[in-house]
Amino acid sequence: MNEKIENEKKDTENEEDDSEFIIDFTTSSAINKVSLKFLVVYIPIFWFSGLVIATFWYGYTISPVHWIIKLLFLPLILLGFTFAFIFSCFFFSKLLLIFINLIHLPKEGIFRTEKGDTDFEFWRLRTEIKKITLWLIRNWPLPWIDVVAFRWFGIKMDFSSHLNDAWCDAEFISFGKNVTVGQGAVIMSSMVVGNYLIIKKIRFDDYALIGGQSTIAPGTHFGEDTVLGAVSVTTLNQDLEDGWIYSGIPARKLKPNKYAEMRRDTIHKVDVDERAKVEIEHEVNIDDDKKHLIKRDDGGVNE
Amino acid sequence: MRVGPFCASVLVKKKYLILYIFLIWISLLPAILEIWWYWQMLWVQERPLHFYVFLPLFLFVIYVSTVLAAIFFTKILLLIISIFHKAREGTFLRDPADKDYRYWSLRNTIKKWPTWLAHKFPFPFLDNICFKLLGVKTKFSNSLFEGWVDTEFMEFGKNVVVGQGAIVQSSVIIGNLLIIRKTVIEENVRVGAHVIIMPGTHIGKNCILNTWSSTMVGQKLEEGWIYNGGPAKKFKKNRFFEDIPIEKLAKAIGDMDGLLKKYDETYVKRTLKKRKSLSRKDKEENSKEEKE
Repeated sequence: MNEKIENEKKDTENEEDDSEFIIDFTTSSAINKVSLKFLVVYIPIFWFSGLVIATFWYGYTISPVHWIIKLLFLPLILLGFTFAFIFSCFFFSKLLLIFINLIHLPKEGIFRTEKGDTDFEFWRLRTEIKKITLWLIRNWPLPWIDVVAFRWFGIKMDFSSHLNDAWCDAEFISFGKNVTVGQGAVIMSSMVVGNYLIIKKIRFDDYALIGGQSTIAPGTHFGEDTVLGAVSVTTLNQDLEDGWIYSGIPARKLKPNKYAEMRRDTIHKVDVDERAKVEIEHEVNIDDDKKHLIKRDDGGVNE
Repeated sequence: MRVGPFCASVLVKKKYLILYIFLIWISLLPAILEIWWYWQMLWVQERPLHFYVFLPLFLFVIYVSTVLAAIFFTKILLLIISIFHKAREGTFLRDPADKDYRYWSLRNTIKKWPTWLAHKFPFPFLDNICFKLLGVKTKFSNSLFEGWVDTEFMEFGKNVVVGQGAIVQSSVIIGNLLIIRKTVIEENVRVGAHVIIMPGTHIGKNCILNTWSSTMVGQKLEEGWIYNGGPAKKFKKNRFFEDIPIEKLAKAIGDMDGLLKKYDETYVKRTLKKRKSLSRKDKEENSKEEKE
């Protein structure tokens, strides 16, 4: 009997221990330990892509066209130069990334944030290399150029989804169609907790919508038509079901996403004859005591 | 997302803008001098090739030197201003008649140009230099790059990480009052994304702040805890700085073995391909055995 009781005690102790190690909070994935030695890979990217522009500029200066015409086309050419600079930065950083991935393949999992850990070191190196191109596109006014950069870095996404105003990690994320990411949202596929680095893939299915200023932890899976409200946080490995609206810290189910049905059935087939139907769909989220305030088709007010 | 070192943009008197414009002008002078020197040195014959080859690298040097010059002249201006009125902590009236409020606004106006310039550089080390020279106690191992961090009355220990969009401030305006208090963050603190830290907060070693938590003015956070909520309350003991067996953490991430297996297989595939191509004899022997 005594042995049994002792065993039970041990079990409960173990359970308590485990509960302390559950990661039900979210921190950040900002670069851990800035180190100057990564400047060595950073300067060549800048230099080589600058050389591309320098050759173009050389060609521009020696061309035998009249100087007035040259001056006329100067703004257009400068625009082209910035484009060429950004794309050559893409190219050279991608080249470096391929080399680095040959030495060490990026992996999901849990790693230690120490100098000896190769996964951690290479993660830092990758983020540093990607930083220059991502910074360039952040300071460039065309929104779709983000998507080009993210596709270069191996993220599955197409031009229907956009993340122009968000902070987003550039690996281990997959987007479906028509994903919208709100302003100031933070999408992290890697997270530093104490001495440990956690990397896990985030998946967004079609028509997912992420509200402004929300934080998304690694391992989150967004179902189809899922909406995450503004100022809400998902925890590690959270699975958001299809067609629900989530909100809160951490994210909890709020209500089923009726707007998705509206999108599918009514808004996509707006028909003059079905106007009344549209109005009925709208009434779903209105309190009963306020329904009389809605204007009717014939101009009057419901009683 | 637009982030960077934080300078409040309160302009008490319009004449402070003169200092700002003066700073921009004087910090661009060294760049012009450098360009002239580069031109004199390398434009020897008609269209020299090395002039174009080293131009991108030279532009890089120009940018860094401009930032350093901006910080240098800002520091001199700040020293001159501190002769008239020394920056101090306390609660002040938010009114142009109040000397402390006026000088706080002046300091922020002056600091704006170098911090903006340093942040518009994709590598964080210029930011760290900027913080250090403007009088914030930090180490180079800190990552303060992704949030808004105030540039005076701050103290950081080693290995602090400030998350994306977090706000760490040492001065705040509440109604008619301006509160300036020193914020201290000790070693190994991880500030989560979107956290708001108010002036006068003291965060102990090895703390973790959950996303969207916020602290009150003058709040003290004990060392070695995970905090959550606004105002921040103790959530649980932080044991992630200890040596934990990976199996225990693996439960949190889900199917860890499956993940590792996936990557092991990719590695194995690569190596197998190489071996096959290298050892043709073995292949032939294998095929012979199969036939038999």
